[in-house]
This record gives sequence, C-alpha cells and structure tokens, in this order.
Amino acid sequence: MDSFNVKNIRKTILDMAFSGSTVHVGCAFSIVEILAVLYRSHLNFPENDVESPIRDYMVLSKGHGVMAQYACLHEKGYLANEDIQQYFKNGSRLKGLADAHIPGIEATTGSLGHGLSVAVGLALAAKLNKTEQMCYVIVGDGEINEGPIWEAALFASQFKLDNLIVIVDKNGFQAMGTTDEVMSLGSIEKKFAAFEFDAVTLNGHSEPELDIAINAFKTNKNGRPKVIVANTVKGKGVSFMENDNIWHYTRLNKETYAAAVAELQGDK
Amino acid sequence: MRAAFSDALVAAAKANPKILLLTGDHGYALFDAFRKECPQQYINCGIAEQNMVGVAAGLAKAGFIPFVYGLSAFVPIRVLEQIKIDVCYESLKVIFIGDGAGVVYSHLGSSHQSTEDIAALRAIPNLNILSPADPYELSYTMSLALNSEHATYLRMGKADLGEVHSEPVQGDIGALMPVQVNPQAKTLILATGSMVSVGSQIAKNNPNIDLYSVPSIKPINASAVLDICAGRNKIYILEEHSIYGGLGSCIAEIIAGKLLCDFKIIGIKDRFSERCGDYAYLMEEHGLNAMKLEGVFL
Repeated sequence: MDSFNVKNIRKTILDMAFSGSTVHVGCAFSIVEILAVLYRSHLNFPENDVESPIRDYMVLSKGHGVMAQYACLHEKGYLANEDIQQYFKNGSRLKGLADAHIPGIEATTGSLGHGLSVAVGLALAAKLNKTEQMCYVIVGDGEINEGPIWEAALFASQFKLDNLIVIVDKNGFQAMGTTDEVMSLGSIEKKFAAFEFDAVTLNGHSEPELDIAINAFKTNKNGRPKVIVANTVKGKGVSFMENDNIWHYTRLNKETYAAAVAELQGDK
Repeated sequence: MRAAFSDALVAAAKANPKILLLTGDHGYALFDAFRKECPQQYINCGIAEQNMVGVAAGLAKAGFIPFVYGLSAFVPIRVLEQIKIDVCYESLKVIFIGDGAGVVYSHLGSSHQSTEDIAALRAIPNLNILSPADPYELSYTMSLALNSEHATYLRMGKADLGEVHSEPVQGDIGALMPVQVNPQAKTLILATGSMVSVGSQIAKNNPNIDLYSVPSIKPINASAVLDICAGRNKIYILEEHSIYGGLGSCIAEIIAGKLLCDFKIIGIKDRFSERCGDYAYLMEEHGLNAMKLEGVFL
C-alpha cells in the first residue's frame, strides 16, 4: 500500500521519538505533508530503486527533520520495521540527523547550510547528463541564515537549474526562538525572487496546494530555478506541540506519547 | 610545476569527459588551455567556495570527477567542513587543488598564506594529502589522485623552483622518493613540496646527508619510513608549513617509540608572517632558506 497517509507518518515519527527517546519532533512534524506529496506523487525512482543513477533527488537540508524522511522511506518499503524500531538506539544505522550512508538520503546534513549546494551539484549533473531528473531540496527557514544557501541560490540561477525545486519549510522557529526574534527574514519569497527564482508561497500542510505547485514547477522548463515557500506549523498535528519550540528539544514520556497518539488517532 | 599541472589536467579531461574543473574565480592564465580545449568541462563557481565544494560533492555523487581549484588559503581552509561532511564522509572522489601553499603569496600577508592546511586535513578520514616538489612529482601525484577511489588534496606550493628529480618518478601512493641517495649517511632529511628544493641545495654540498622527498603525506608508507629512518643519528624534517601537524608530526608519529635519534622539525614556527616582502624575503623571515639552514647541518 502506497498511501502516505500523514497521520500514519506522524504516528511512525512519534513511535521513533518515543522508543528512541529523541528530540526534534517539532521540526519533523512540520514537513510531513511536503514529504508525503513528494514521495507519493513526484519522486521518481526507476524500478523502485532509490539508488538508481537516474532517480529524482530529494535532499533534506534541514537534517534535524530526518524522522519524517525515515517514516516516508519506511512507507515506501526502503526501511524495515526493525530499522524504525532501532532508531537512535545503540548500534542503529539510523542516526539522529540525516546521513547519506542510508539509501534514499542524498546528503549528510544537520550542520546547516550544506544541502542546497549538494542539491545544486546534483541538479547540475542532471543537466550535464541531459536527463529529466528533478532535484528537490527542503531547507528550513532558520537554516537560511547560513551564507552558503545564498551562494547556492546565485549559482542555481547562473546555471539555469530549472530542474531544481527548493522547498522552504517556513515554520517560523529556529533553535532559540522565532525567526523574527532571532534573524528576521522578511519575505523569503521576495528574497529568492530577487535571486531570479520562480517563487510561490502556499500552505505547507495542504497536500493539494503542494501537489499543484510542484506539478506546475516541474513542467516549467523556463531556465529558472524554483522555490516553494511552504508556510508550516512546527509540531503540526499534535495540539500541545504546535508552535511550541520546546518540542525541538523535549523527549516524549509515557503520558505525552499517549496523549499525542490519542490525538493523532482521533478526528480532532 | 603549474605548466605540468595544466598539461596533466587538460590531458585527463580530454581523456575523460566526466572530469570537471570547478574554480572559485581563480586561476586566470593557468586555465587558458583548459578553457580552450575543454570549455564544456569548465565551471567558474564564482567567489563562493563553500557552495563550490557542496556542488562538487553533488556532481561526484552523480558520477562526475570534479577538480576543485582554489588558493590553498581558502581550499581547504575556508571550506573545511564541506570537505569533511559533503565529500569525505561519503568518500566521494573529489580532487582539491590548493595553489600557492605555504608563503607563496608573500606580499599579500597571512590571509593568502597557508601554513596550516596539512594539519587541518590530516585528521579527516577518506582523504589523500599529496604535496609534489617538482613537475615530475606533480604529474605523478595527479595520476595518484585520479587513480584513487578517495578524495585528494593536492598541495601546490612554490611552482618555479625547478626540478629536484632528473626523470619521471613512479611508485605506489605513500612512497618516498629518493633525491640524494647516500644510505650510509647518518643524517637524513625528509622534505616535502618546495622544501625538497631547499634540502637539495643543502645536501649537494654535504655527502653525509641522505635526502628524500615525501610527496604523499597521507597515506604514507610507514614501513618504508621506518626502513629509511633506521640507523640514522639525525633526522630533519623540512616543510613550508607549521611545525605542528604537518609532515614532521606525521613522521614523528611513525617513529615514536621505535627509533632513537636526534629529531628536528624545521618549518614555520607557531606564528604568522610579520612583514611584507617577496617569497625569498618571507622564507628568510621564517628561517627556511638554504643559506640560513646550512648552519643547522654543519
């Protein structure tokens, strides 16, 4: 079954976070719909092989959200139940931040500001090879404080990488507070547009909106890289986690885990 | 040596269209031939070295072989984390060319000088560190880099010091290259890069000195090092690099606890360059010219 039901994905994330006693639940929850839409409808893995040389690329530059990607790779069958159960435990191959040694994960991220450059290299490789491969990259809004993001944006425009779709997970939080408090970003859409990207802002939890925007961008070969500014909610899906940055750092206990699962499984 | 580099790079790129040259807007005349012969394989990444290394990682992941060119003050120093995480952690084959290593950019001051690059890189796994001394060693180290499965940092120091060997050199990666062979000599000099030339000026007047060039700092053939070092009274290391963490440290790690001898690392002491001047002036400031060093070997 290839449903990519976002409640199931969030449940898998909760299970990983609880059994692994790990953090970063909030920033995994904010990108669930984005990843679900990509994995369900857009990422092309010929013969279902995430390492096929002509695969589409999906770089998670905000490596802290990797639990959401693990959950999607699990939905797709690329990660086993045992992998998910062992996450974050001694001897597990699934680490707390995105790690390119795992098939399906294209770059080792978590040190922020790396993923867009690697994605640009992959997109350029597809252009040089004259393939139809797309390159998607998810960056965090806090992450775009990093200078190399803007170096990569300049490069993407200069080299006309219209096979590159950047998705900014704009949840409004970074480690120590809101993005407005720490390093105000103004209009992310206008900033990327000023770097000669085609840009659109949408609701990052609306699967139809994401689907339509990605479809429009991936078919528009106008020589310009694309950016989707996805307005999201950190901790989306569990009311007591939403917009509370403490869930960047807090581990679930039995009570909070049970309450979160109950909420996910109810109709709210 | 830069001509040998350009020739080797053009030849390699013509033989393999997967080879790409990425530059951070550096290498003006150096790449004239490359741009003429292989224009499709030339990518100027602009003045943005961190992105350039990430892009190289993406290209390598997709099957290209990127050469990343920069001044050694920037590649690898400015981009150390990108080299570590984007390239070496996945053991991607990217070849970093650090030009002007040591105090070559003497007039420009410490921002453009690189006396810490070997030390900074030695602790990163899956990365070769090569340091050729002359055009022959440049061709040899280029072929080592191309044949390696790992990433390589190729450190190009002062380029116009002439030849220290009289014919092409060969050997496995990690080999040491004899320059003045006198196995009975009780004094051994191990030198790398520009300092091989300085060492040969000293050794030619002194039959009691045996001189080897070390073009491959990592990996290095430890048993060959031990064989060459055995039975010496004095071992001197010459390098245009900090006395901390470079070739000297590398040799010391190999022989410590195994050999007993007088051991001295001659390089840049733990300080930045103080004055403006040409290359010869800076080498004198740091006590690394042949005339100053000859006293040490009397």
